[in-house]
Amino acid sequence: MTGPYWAVIALLAAAAFLIRVAGLAAGGRIRASRHAWILDDLPGLIVVSLVASSLAGQPWPTWIAAGIAFGVGAMTNHVILTMAAGVAAFAGLAWLAG
Amino acid sequence: MMDAMKRGALAILPLAFGAAIYGFAFGLLAAQVGFPWWGVGLMSASIHAGSSQIVAVEQFATTGTVLGAVLAGAALNLRYVGMIAALSDVLDGLPLRWKLLAIHMTGDENWALTMAERAKSPEIGAPFLLGSGLVMICVWTGSTAVGALIGAVLPDLERFGLGFAFTAAFIAMARGLWRGRSQIVPWIVAAGITVGVVSLGVPQAYGIVAGALAGLGARAVSRRRAEAVA
Repeated sequence: MTGPYWAVIALLAAAAFLIRVAGLAAGGRIRASRHAWILDDLPGLIVVSLVASSLAGQPWPTWIAAGIAFGVGAMTNHVILTMAAGVAAFAGLAWLAG
Repeated sequence: MMDAMKRGALAILPLAFGAAIYGFAFGLLAAQVGFPWWGVGLMSASIHAGSSQIVAVEQFATTGTVLGAVLAGAALNLRYVGMIAALSDVLDGLPLRWKLLAIHMTGDENWALTMAERAKSPEIGAPFLLGSGLVMICVWTGSTAVGALIGAVLPDLERFGLGFAFTAAFIAMARGLWRGRSQIVPWIVAAGITVGVVSLGVPQAYGIVAGALAGLGARAVSRRRAEAVA
């Protein structure tokens, strides 16, 4: 492995860690401020955005499978059951769509 | 402590299986760009950020420049500022070296699972995050290194819906983080902005940051209105 390969790994590792440390420092400050509510709301907003980003631009069977997963998740509040139902729905709809 | 770590390690296994599939695929990509299998493993263990690694390697392959690859990869990781900040309560009281270890082991999957489980059971804390993170970083490192060695023989598991497993898991985690009606508008705003931004061709990681920030803005407005009424 030559120098540029080592440099990509080392610099990206340093950058990734520094970004996490910045989050650690920011968390402590926000929690001690009047904006502490942000830390309560942020997790849900990031997770919702993660879901939305993976659905953006996807065909309708993916959205229907997401709707089924949403229904199972709302009823059961169980990660593995929701995953299983979502994957089964996705695979079934993909098969139906040919 | 060990029991809670074990609980986290076991709870993350289904997601770790999904991550391993992507790990194989990424390992194959990195090997084709010229990284040896041990270099891929080193990269995964030291960076531990899948989307960031994929983009950096793609950029490195197409442009050949180190700085461009690193900047592109690092930019995709900016969402971790908010994610780690939100762990403030979970990590409170830990010695600094454990905090640094925990934030390095934090990825999308074990972070979201920890937050969702903590919303259901407040006793869930740093040991759960560490246990689930340890499994994730080991699986990610191992699968990417193995992918670089034998990735070409892997069948296309995406068509069986394994990629969707993450989406379904995050939907369940969102359910776990649901606290009431005050979240409806901010969540709709976050989802709408994310879909809009990603649909414009912007990378998903930026869409996530934009969506979360827009949702926070909506929540700030609704809080201000509620305070004005009170």
